[in-house]
Amino acid sequence: MFKTTPEVGGMGHSIKRKEDLRFLQGKGNYVDDVHLPDMVYGHLVRSPYAHARLKSINTDKAKQLPGVLAVITGEDLAKANLAWMPTLFFDKQMVLATGKVLFQSQEVAFVIAEDRYTAADAAELVEVEYEELPVLVDPHKATDPSSPILREDREEKSNHIFHWEVGDKAATDKAFQNAAVRADVHAVFQRCHPAPLETCGCVADFNRATGRLTIYLTSQAPHAHRTLFALVGGIPENNIRVISPDIGGGFGNKVPIYPGYVCAVVGSLTLGRPVKWIETRSENLQSTGFARDYHMTAELAADKDGKIQALRVKTLADHGAFNAAAQPTKFPAGLFSICTGAYDYPSAFCEVDGVYTNKAPGGIAYRCSFRVTEAAYLIERAVDVLAMELKTDPVELRRKNFIRPEKFPYKSALGWSYDSGNYEGAMNLALEKIGYQQLRKEQEEKRKKGELMGIGVSSFVEIVGAGPAHTFDIAGIKMFDSAEIRVHPTGKAMCRMGTKSQGQGHETTYAQIVAQELGIPAADVTVEEGDTDTAPYGLGTYASRSTPVSGAATAVAARKIRDKAKKIAAHLLECSEEDLDWEPGKFFVKGAPSKSKSIQDIAFAAYTNMPEGMEAGLEAVDYYDPPNLTFPFGTYICVVDIDKGTGEVKVRRFVAVDDCGNVINPMIVDGQIHGGLTEGLAIAFMQEIAYDESGNVQGGSFMDYLLPTAVETPHWETDKTCTPSPHHPFGAKGVGESPNVGSPAAFVNAVVDALSHLGVRHIDMPITPWKVWNILKQKGVIS
Amino acid sequence: MALRIEKTFQVDQPIGKVWSFLSDPTKVANCVPGAQITEKIDDKTYKGSISVKVGPSVTDYKGEVHILRLDAQNYEIEIQGKGQDVRGRGSASMTMTGKLATLDGRATQVTSTSEVNVVGILAQMGSRVITEVSNIMFEKFSENFQALLQQSSDQPVAVAIDAKPAAPIEPGSIAWQAFRQMFARWLQVLKNLFSGRSV
Repeated sequence: MFKTTPEVGGMGHSIKRKEDLRFLQGKGNYVDDVHLPDMVYGHLVRSPYAHARLKSINTDKAKQLPGVLAVITGEDLAKANLAWMPTLFFDKQMVLATGKVLFQSQEVAFVIAEDRYTAADAAELVEVEYEELPVLVDPHKATDPSSPILREDREEKSNHIFHWEVGDKAATDKAFQNAAVRADVHAVFQRCHPAPLETCGCVADFNRATGRLTIYLTSQAPHAHRTLFALVGGIPENNIRVISPDIGGGFGNKVPIYPGYVCAVVGSLTLGRPVKWIETRSENLQSTGFARDYHMTAELAADKDGKIQALRVKTLADHGAFNAAAQPTKFPAGLFSICTGAYDYPSAFCEVDGVYTNKAPGGIAYRCSFRVTEAAYLIERAVDVLAMELKTDPVELRRKNFIRPEKFPYKSALGWSYDSGNYEGAMNLALEKIGYQQLRKEQEEKRKKGELMGIGVSSFVEIVGAGPAHTFDIAGIKMFDSAEIRVHPTGKAMCRMGTKSQGQGHETTYAQIVAQELGIPAADVTVEEGDTDTAPYGLGTYASRSTPVSGAATAVAARKIRDKAKKIAAHLLECSEEDLDWEPGKFFVKGAPSKSKSIQDIAFAAYTNMPEGMEAGLEAVDYYDPPNLTFPFGTYICVVDIDKGTGEVKVRRFVAVDDCGNVINPMIVDGQIHGGLTEGLAIAFMQEIAYDESGNVQGGSFMDYLLPTAVETPHWETDKTCTPSPHHPFGAKGVGESPNVGSPAAFVNAVVDALSHLGVRHIDMPITPWKVWNILKQKGVIS
Repeated sequence: MALRIEKTFQVDQPIGKVWSFLSDPTKVANCVPGAQITEKIDDKTYKGSISVKVGPSVTDYKGEVHILRLDAQNYEIEIQGKGQDVRGRGSASMTMTGKLATLDGRATQVTSTSEVNVVGILAQMGSRVITEVSNIMFEKFSENFQALLQQSSDQPVAVAIDAKPAAPIEPGSIAWQAFRQMFARWLQVLKNLFSGRSV
């Protein structure tokens, strides 16, 4: 690939993030920074019970409090047919409860007042009478005849949501019958939460004079949300404008539409004033989209030499009270069938059952392409358990089973067509960087001294870039994405995108793509996203799709502009188009490089001196429908030491080798890897949204749901290999999610490896000191 | 959230007198900070309320207390209480077994075992905070109980009860005390750790 100068800052340059100038100065503009004249505030009354019948709601006292403008209940919404709303996955969800509540913190009433404090105080005055009902917390008991039926609204009187299976069951079963070695692992990927620094919120502003509804929204997918508001609310789509201002982290948490948004909209329609609703931290953790909660069993069958023959997976998915899975795939378990991983074997069978419980609804794809994290964790744990069974080195077992580079495009046993990969290459680099053989020797010596040290390897494969129309849609809308580029007369450019950055650095990376394709310096390219009135239609940012889809659209749109620029250059240089060559920034006459026209000259001519018959302007739009998904991969290796006295696991070293194809901005990629690894660390060791037997949330604040700080976070060592995607316009694959997808298995494998000589095969996350300390006691390591 | 709380304390009163107090829910209730009996339904069933304020969160439980077992022979009582917050912020239930034992004829040992189940806002505070809150409430209870026993020797019981009316637990102080106790415990752990290391 042509390397532009640092001044141009095309692909491969670590230019500083443009958006950081305002973020670092505190000049970002988030939803809660939006202040409109006459704005009022909403506050939700929430259920203290996980399962209870609503006997009565008395709003009199709340309404009498000075400053209170309205109290909306589920019954009020029911009159407008808005008490329920559809979820993104063929279920429906209560906006405000009618009849009964199904999880603790469920939305029961919405109070609107002149200021935020009055709204919160008035919410305290709403008196709700409940009759407690038996609670279902354990998903394994969901289909027990003795368990209460949670969803009385459904025709099917069962807590079972779906059964989904994929693969060749007969061939898989046969492979298991004939297998010399079998290994299995039961792994729970616990319920966790993205906990973005900025919670969810909105300002709904219905203008009675114009009939237009403007919603400032923490939305990862503003256009899709506009369409859904139009479809559900019956408001003409041209009268809805969704503006996603700066977003302080999304990670999937800001993909669904939440009851608070709908209440704010209803409030604004009712009062004719802007209504702001901002979640508290606890509301965010307790009621908005959680992630994971997959209870998985994987079995591997192998021959005596350790060549894997088949994989069998059975999973129970806890979706909480409503199946609000924020995922646009056509499959109930998303892309979970990527669980065959980086390995080459002929047979696999995977089945997933989804159930309802009295927990918050979800789940969302937390920095992950719809269950890819669960899948990667499962197969990487299972391979380690098989290595233990075979008494072989987990690295050698992986090496033996990797899909060879020459086998791409590779068709997996569960039907995916992997675009490209060199799994052994990434692993070899990681092994070399960490000094694997030396570490194994050290471990052996430490074991003799009774010290606990472990090495964990994870060679993950991702599937990102949602996505091709055969696999995805949102409410029927195909999952293309878009870019619109306008080059101004002075040669500067404006890019408008269908995606929405939440911290990924889009204002920089899209500008770099334009710089690469057109030679206009990235500094001269302004990127704008998030306003549905101005941006071309797009499906938003999640699933590492921005670079694979909108990035591709940017390149294609830029190439359309280049095609026109070539015509103008030929006109200016008085030659034919065939006589021109291009290098980013200029067209020149073949063999006479001094006879050239820069892109800036051409831009000016596009408005002042275009060829006869050509329309003015230099701009293009592209809606890119990817032909396939992209498959980033990598190998992460983690070294841990365990303190026998406290059970604390210390991450001594962590090497992350990623391969995301061609890189736009290496510094941003590094930043993404650092952030995702830190989240992975938190999931592996610290975080869980747990529930007690009565359905009380036990991880509902940062007192109990822990965030890693600089103190807990180890030094991350990153490196990369480069295997471009063959079908992407500039060979990129997407990277934002890889570290969160690939790292949990590396951490857990390391801890289990440290304890494997004691007979430990698996430990469920989060691996807290208490858990480790108990294992050490149980195994007689400490008394 | 289910908690099991076991407590033992001693009072310098003969067992017979302590039993006469412990077996009377109106007297017991008046020793529980923030609690009161509002109505007697029959000999074994009472209506009552308790107000618990933890930090900014006030929960006013209203419900019933029922004596499940009263064994005067062995000085054992089993009480069940159930209540719902008046504003619908949650519920709590408790089964408490109280047992008396005489200590050298003069003093009496009170042992109580309680199974408490809390649902709602209060339960979200997590078992660490709730356990500390329970500890403080129990300490106050035992203080009040002893004071009541003491005062009843020379004053009418009603006065003693008035001495601690059914005021809610002091605003904020419970949370503060709970955190202080947790903090003190951590500090002790740290001290032990460092003194261990310096040796």
